[in-house]
Amino acid sequence: MRHDTTRRRSGPAALLTVIATAAFALILAFAGAAPANAASSPSPSPSSSAAQSIQVWIRKASDRSDVPGVKVTVSQGSFSQTVTSGDDGKALVPVPAAGTYKVDLDASSVPEGAGTVPTGLNPRQVVVSAGNQGVPAYYILVAPGGGATPTPGASGGASSGAGGGGSGADSGASLFDLIAPRIVTGLIFGLLLALASIGVSLIYGTTGLNNFAHGELVTFGALMGYVFSAVLGLPGVVAIIAATVLGGVFGYVQDLGLWRPLRRRGVALVPLMIVSIGLSLALRYLFQFIFGADQLVLPADNRAAFILGPVRLRSTDIISAVICIVLLLLVAFVLLRTRIGKATRAVSDNRSLAAASGIDVERVIRTVWVGAGSLAGLAGVLIGYYQSLRWDTGASILLLIFAAVTLGGFGTAFGALVGSLVIGVITDVSTVFIPNNLKYVAALVVLIAILLVRPQGILGKASRIG
Amino acid sequence: MDFSFLLLALGQIISPQTIAYALAALGLAVQFGFTGLLNFGQAGFMAIGGYAFAITTLHLGFPFWLAVLATLVATTVMALVLGIPTLRLRADYLAIVTIAAAEIVRYVVKTPDLIPLTGGSDGLNGAAVTFDALNPIPPGSYGFGPLRYDENDLWIILVGWIFVILVALLVRQLMKSPWGRVIKGIREDEDAVRSLGKNVFSYKMQSLILGGALGGLATIINIIPTSLQPDNYGTQTTFFLLTIILLGGATTVFGPLVGAIVFWIVLSLADGFLSLAVQYHWLPITTIQQGPVRFIIVGVALMLIVIFRPSGLIGKKREAFFA
Amino acid sequence: MPDTTTERAALIEGAPAPGVKKTDPIVVADGVQRTFGGVHAVDVDHVEIPRGAITALIGPNGAGKTTFFNLLTGFDKPNHGSWSFDGKPIGGVPAYKVARRGMIRTFQLTKALSMLSVMENMRLGAQEQPGENIARALVPALWRGREQQITERAQDLLARFKLDTKADDFAASLSGGQRKLLEMARALMSDPTMIMLDEPMAGVNPALTQSLLHHILDLKATGMTVLFVEHDMHVVREIADWVIVMAEGRIVAEGYPDQVMSDQAVIDAYLGSHHDTDLGDLSEEQQAELLDETQAEVEREEERNDG
Repeated sequence: MRHDTTRRRSGPAALLTVIATAAFALILAFAGAAPANAASSPSPSPSSSAAQSIQVWIRKASDRSDVPGVKVTVSQGSFSQTVTSGDDGKALVPVPAAGTYKVDLDASSVPEGAGTVPTGLNPRQVVVSAGNQGVPAYYILVAPGGGATPTPGASGGASSGAGGGGSGADSGASLFDLIAPRIVTGLIFGLLLALASIGVSLIYGTTGLNNFAHGELVTFGALMGYVFSAVLGLPGVVAIIAATVLGGVFGYVQDLGLWRPLRRRGVALVPLMIVSIGLSLALRYLFQFIFGADQLVLPADNRAAFILGPVRLRSTDIISAVICIVLLLLVAFVLLRTRIGKATRAVSDNRSLAAASGIDVERVIRTVWVGAGSLAGLAGVLIGYYQSLRWDTGASILLLIFAAVTLGGFGTAFGALVGSLVIGVITDVSTVFIPNNLKYVAALVVLIAILLVRPQGILGKASRIG
Repeated sequence: MDFSFLLLALGQIISPQTIAYALAALGLAVQFGFTGLLNFGQAGFMAIGGYAFAITTLHLGFPFWLAVLATLVATTVMALVLGIPTLRLRADYLAIVTIAAAEIVRYVVKTPDLIPLTGGSDGLNGAAVTFDALNPIPPGSYGFGPLRYDENDLWIILVGWIFVILVALLVRQLMKSPWGRVIKGIREDEDAVRSLGKNVFSYKMQSLILGGALGGLATIINIIPTSLQPDNYGTQTTFFLLTIILLGGATTVFGPLVGAIVFWIVLSLADGFLSLAVQYHWLPITTIQQGPVRFIIVGVALMLIVIFRPSGLIGKKREAFFA
Repeated sequence: MPDTTTERAALIEGAPAPGVKKTDPIVVADGVQRTFGGVHAVDVDHVEIPRGAITALIGPNGAGKTTFFNLLTGFDKPNHGSWSFDGKPIGGVPAYKVARRGMIRTFQLTKALSMLSVMENMRLGAQEQPGENIARALVPALWRGREQQITERAQDLLARFKLDTKADDFAASLSGGQRKLLEMARALMSDPTMIMLDEPMAGVNPALTQSLLHHILDLKATGMTVLFVEHDMHVVREIADWVIVMAEGRIVAEGYPDQVMSDQAVIDAYLGSHHDTDLGDLSEEQQAELLDETQAEVEREEERNDG
C-alpha cells in the first residue's frame, strides 16, 4: 500500500519532468544551431549590430510575385531610413530600439503596372518589441483595374525582371510554388495542433469528457510564454519550459479543484461538458481582463533561416517542429512502453475493466491531466512563436483541435496526431484556393464530411460506434 | 452618483434583445431540454435565419411575410443538412458538428468577397423597413424616465412579446400532446422509444427544425431595432442561451422566458455597478477591463448552475435535466 | 408447466439438431454474421423460431445472444445475412418498423423512461395515436378519443401486472423488478405477435420471479410467440418449450429443455463447466475470465446504446 502512495505522487510529477527536460535539452541544442543556419542562408541579411529589425516585403496580389525597386521609409522620431526592395521584393531595416515605427511606401517608386497599395494600409505603424528580428511589414499591391489588368504578359515581364524569382511565368510551377510552402507550414501547424489534440483525446478517452476548455490550456501556455519572455525579458528557452511546466501545473490544479470533485459526485457527461464550456468562457475573458484584447508578440527572429525553393522557414518554425516531433515520439513511447502509458490505454479502452484489474484509475486520470496541460501549454507558447498570441488564441483553434480529434477517431492518441497533420495541411493549403479568412472553414467542412462517410474517424475502430 | 442604470436594467425586461434571446432559448430548450439534442450551434441557426431575412428584404425586396418565410426555409435547410449526417450518431457528434457549422456560417458571411451580399464584418443595416411599414402606432415618444421608446421600438416590443407568448403556449401544447411524449421519451432513452415503434430519427429532426426555426425568428426580432452583426452570433451566443435555459429550467416551457429576463437584468445591473465602481475607483480596474467581466460572470454562473442547481430557478428538482 | 409429448412433437420436423426445421416457424434466419473488430460476435447459419411457443436462447456470456437479438430486431446491422418474420423478409428494416410489424423487444438493462410517469410510459407503447404527428398534436380533438382508448388499455395491463397503484408515479421511483414488469407491460400495449425478452429475470428479486414467469406463460396462452435470453437454468426448464444454445456466436445445440439440460456435452462445452458453481468457488483466474466475458457483453450493450 505504501508503494502505491509513493507511485501515486510520482506519476504526474515524473511525466512533467520528462516533458520539460526533453523540451529544455532540445532548445539548448538548437540555441547554438539556429544562428548558424541563419548565417548560411542566402537571404540578404545585412550584418548589423541592431538587435531589432523590420522586414519589408512587397508582392503583387495577382500572382504573389515579388516587386523590386520600391522605396520604403521607416521612421520614428529622429530615426529615419529609406530602403529599396531587392530582387526578392524584400528589404531588411535594422532599427535601434524597441518601439512603434512608421513604415511608408513611396507610391511613385512602384514600377508601372505593378499596382497600388490598398488605401489605409500605407503608411502603417509597426510595433517592434525588444529583440524582435524581421518584424513583418508586408505590402500586397493590388492591380488598379481589378481582374482585367494582370495580363500574363505583364506579370511575365515583371518576374523576368526579378531575375532570381523568375518562375512566375510557368503556371504549373507557380502553383507548386504556392502550395509547397503551405504544405510545409501546414505540417508545422499540424504538429502544433497535435500537441494540443493528444491531450483532448486522452482526456476524452479516460474520462469521457469533451473538454471545451482545452483551448484555454493552450492560451494559458502562450500567455505564460509571453510573461516570461516579453515581460520578464528572459530567454525563449526559459519561456518555453515555464509554459510547459506551468501548463502541467494548471492541468493538475484544474483536475484537483474541479473535475475530480465532479467525478466523485457522479456528474454525468453532458453536464460536465457544459461545465467545461462555462470554464472556457470564464477563463478566456479572465485572460482578456488581465492581458487586454490586443495581439501580443513574443520576441523572436522572424527572418527566414532556411530557404529551399519556394519554402522559407524561420528558425522558430524549425525549432518548434523539432520540439513537436521529439515530444510526440516521447508521448508515443510513454503510451506504448511505460507502465503509466499502458495503464492509460487500458483505462481508455475500458475503464471499469481497468479498475477491476487493479489499475488506479484516478491516478491515471490525474497524470493525463498533467500531461495534457503541459502539452497544451507547450503548444500554446509555440503557437505564439508561430503566429502571434491573444487572449483567445486557444479558443480560436479549439474547433480545429476537435476536428483533428474527430478525424483521427475519438479517444485514440495516434488518431489525434494524424488528424492534426491533415487538418494543419488542409487549413494552410486551402488559402491557395479560398480567401484567407475562410481557412478554418475548410477544416470544419472536412470535419463534417468525415462524419458523413466515416464517423469513427480515420483510425477509429468501427465497433466504437453502435 | 447616477443610478439611472437601475431603471435601464429594468428596461431589459421588455427589450427586444430579451425577447429574441427568450425565443432562441425556447428553441434550444425544445432541442436540448425536451429532446436531449446537443445543439451547440443555435447561434448558427440564428445567423442563417437573420441573413435570410435581411438579404431577401434588402436585396430582393421581399415583403415582410415572404422574408419571414425565407427565414423558416433557411433554418429548415440548415437543420436538414446538419441533422441527416449526425442525428444517427452519438450525441456529442451533433454538438461538435453544430458548433462547427455555426462558426462556418459566421466566417462565410464575414468574408470580404461576399460584402455586396452580406456586408462582411459590418453586417447588414435597415432590414426593418418592411416591418416598420406595418406599424399602426402613431409617431411619438413613449415611456417614462430614462426608458423612452419611439413608435417603432414600441411596435417591435409589442409584436415581439405577443409572438413569444403565443409560441410558448404552442410549444406547451405540443409538449403535453402525444408528440411531446415521444420527444421526452427520446430524451430519456431513444432505444426504448425505437423499440416501441417510433421513428426516432424523424422526431429528432422535427425537433431540430422547430428549435432552429425559433432561433431564426428570434434574430428577426433582434435585428429590427438595431442591425445584423455577424459577431453577435458567435459561439458565446449559444453559450449565453445555454446559460439562460439552465437558469430558467431546461425542461420547462416558460423557463427560457424567465431565464432570458433574469439573465439580461443581471448582466445589465452588473455592467451598471461596475461602471460606478470604475468611475469612483472602488475597484482597481480600468474601463477597458470592464468589458470582459460580464463574460466571466456568465461563465462562472453557467458552471455553478450546472453543478448546484441543475433544475434551474423554476424547474422542479426531480425534473432536473441531469438526474 | 411441462408440455405434453404431442405438443412437443408438433414443434419440429425431424430430430433435434442445430438449425432443425420447425413445423410452423415465425422467424427464419439464414447466414447472419456480425463481426466486431475481426471477432465473429454472431455467426448463425440457419435457425428457426417456432410460432406460438416459448423459446429460450441460452449460452455463456459473450456467446452473442444479445447481439443476435439486436440484429433480429433491427437495432444492429449484420455484415451479411437475411431473416424473415411472419413470412416477410425484415433484414435491413429499421428497428421502429420491425416493432410496428409486431416484433417487440425488451432490454437486458431495463429501459424504463425514468422522468415520465408509469402511465406515460404505457401510453408510449401504443400504436396508431394520431397525436404523435406534430401537426395533429396541436388539435387535441383529433387525438383525445384515441388517447382515452389507450389509457383504458394501459389501466387494464397495469392492473394485470399489479402496477395500477403506481400509475402516476415517475418510473424512476419503481424497483428494479417493477421496471421489468413495466417494460413488459409497455411492450404489450401494441398487441405484438412476438415478444423478445432479453434476460427478463436479471436483477429481479425471487418474490417477483414467480409472477414474471406466470406473465410469460400467460403471453403464450394468448397466442403470442416468446423468445427470451436467460441464464437461470431453472427458469428455462420451467417455462421454455424449446431451447437454442449459442456459444462463440454460433448455434451449437437445439432441443427440448430437459434433453438439452441433461446433455453433459452441452453443459461442459457450451455452458462452461462452471455454469452452476458459485463465483466464490472459482479460482482468481477463472473469475477474471468471467469478468472479462461479462464486461465484453456489457460493453457491446453500451456501444449499442451510444449509437
